[in-house]
Amino acid sequence: MALLERAQWYDIARSTDWTPRYVKQDELFPPELSGGEGLPDDVWATYDEPYKISYREYVDIQRQKDAGAYSVKAALERADLYNKADPGWISILKEHYAAVALVEYGASLQESRFVRWSKAPGMRNMATFGMLDEIRHGQIQLYFPHEYINKDRQFEWSHASMFSNNWVSLGARHFFDDVMMTRDAVSTSVFANFSFETGFTNLQFIGLSGDAAKAGDFTFSKLIQSIQSDEARHAQLGTPLLQMLIENGQKEEAQKKIDIAFWRSYRLFTILSGIPMDYYVPLENREDSFKEFMEEWIVTQFMRSLEDLGLSKPWYWDIFLRDISEHHHGQHLGTYSWRPTLWWNPAAGVSPEDRDWLEEKYPGWNATFGKVWDVMIDNFVHDRMDRTVPGTLPIICNVSQLPIVGTPSQTLRDISIVHEGRRYHFASEVDKWIFEDDPERYRHQKNLVDRFLGGDIQPADLGGVLAYMGLGSVGPGGDDAHGFAWVDTYRRKLAATA
Amino acid sequence: MTVIPLATHFHGDFVIKLLPAESTHTMDEVASAAAANAVGIHVPDQPGRTLRVRKQGADTPYPRTTTVADAGLEPTECVEIYFE
Repeated sequence: MALLERAQWYDIARSTDWTPRYVKQDELFPPELSGGEGLPDDVWATYDEPYKISYREYVDIQRQKDAGAYSVKAALERADLYNKADPGWISILKEHYAAVALVEYGASLQESRFVRWSKAPGMRNMATFGMLDEIRHGQIQLYFPHEYINKDRQFEWSHASMFSNNWVSLGARHFFDDVMMTRDAVSTSVFANFSFETGFTNLQFIGLSGDAAKAGDFTFSKLIQSIQSDEARHAQLGTPLLQMLIENGQKEEAQKKIDIAFWRSYRLFTILSGIPMDYYVPLENREDSFKEFMEEWIVTQFMRSLEDLGLSKPWYWDIFLRDISEHHHGQHLGTYSWRPTLWWNPAAGVSPEDRDWLEEKYPGWNATFGKVWDVMIDNFVHDRMDRTVPGTLPIICNVSQLPIVGTPSQTLRDISIVHEGRRYHFASEVDKWIFEDDPERYRHQKNLVDRFLGGDIQPADLGGVLAYMGLGSVGPGGDDAHGFAWVDTYRRKLAATA
Repeated sequence: MTVIPLATHFHGDFVIKLLPAESTHTMDEVASAAAANAVGIHVPDQPGRTLRVRKQGADTPYPRTTTVADAGLEPTECVEIYFE
């Protein structure tokens, strides 16, 4: 018997709405879980998912994707690419897997909440596939690093990081809980699917896949491509909702959701993408700077998708454009300085050749961030290792959960407010705006410094902090990726001038 | 004597740092403790010059003998430390 074309049966099969008789509509779809208050009941059936697929097609495609990724992995293991890779690249793998793998399981819960609580039948249908996508992403990104544990215990963080109180994990959980786990279905889809996935993960995975191929890591490149093709599909879940909100007089609310999610996503990506792209990727494989990447993929392309919907750039656009030239440089200095608090070994990326590249991409780098590196390099050259890890903690933003950094002698500034008797610190005016828009959402969270000052961390010293974060028990903390080999160039220069 | 943690911005540094100051500490002692976290670690030393402390954004520094308590600084409030 011939199969019908998908288009001939799709609409009938996915129109699963019915009229409840035993419960009220709000009991079936509680507003706090479903969202979309103010949208007329009849608009939900008009949700038209831009990417349609049948279960039969989905399973077949996903099976092919998995077969491709796993076969590349099996073939390349024999080539021992891991041991031939630059240590900076290995650090990117460690950072990525630990920050992402378990969050993918969280994302499957996010999508499953759409399956149950979304009032739009089309969204429920597509979210079913999204839920399956995310389970696959969780599994594959736990399985691939698991193979590396026998080479390096820091890969244990791939599974453990999100169960720990590591400061990066605290920041990532705060972000993902905010945008993915604690809002109604409509808001979550605008926050997570549209802003985060369309704006950042989809594009980030394209960049990461390219970097992996250039670095010779075709296993990771194939893995990322396999995931990105899923993201490109389910990331579109939010767009029809945005159209519905805009058409029904809720453009301002939609814009605000995007503005919050965009900034929060960007700040997290300064750690996950900004630092690796400009410092960890070996110089010979490095092409676009993080700033150039952001300008091409985010400033141009994501903004075009906003404009297509009739929305505007976020209000803080000028702040954002300045920030992509500086924030991640400060975070790199911070993560490298406090490297024992990381689960990966950071690459310094500041050899004389690296600095020339940084100066070309970020004019003025040597006169600002470079000045700080000069002091640190002087300590490394003279073997004053005890002075290369600060004896105190950085102040941490109560929204981004990241250290408050800035360009030395230019933009570094603490922004704080007192709310109901407690002082909150922010890394930018945008973080402060996000907090003040909904303080009840954010005010109870204690960042690492709040916990330190509140006596949650004992003993109250660096050792206590590391133990609290799980360093040493889950796996060893970070140290220079290249064993400080890059310092030798500076030692030779010093000897030549002596 | 009470511990009053401060947020410190040492000029030339790239990050705001935590300093567990004490209410009886003078501004010279605050500056010295902040310098221990910054000078020779992230900021070059400037021998022969005096360190001063001011509230973030203020035009003038606190007198060098003013204590943290006298200055009315609240927990985790931000001060700037700089070479005069």
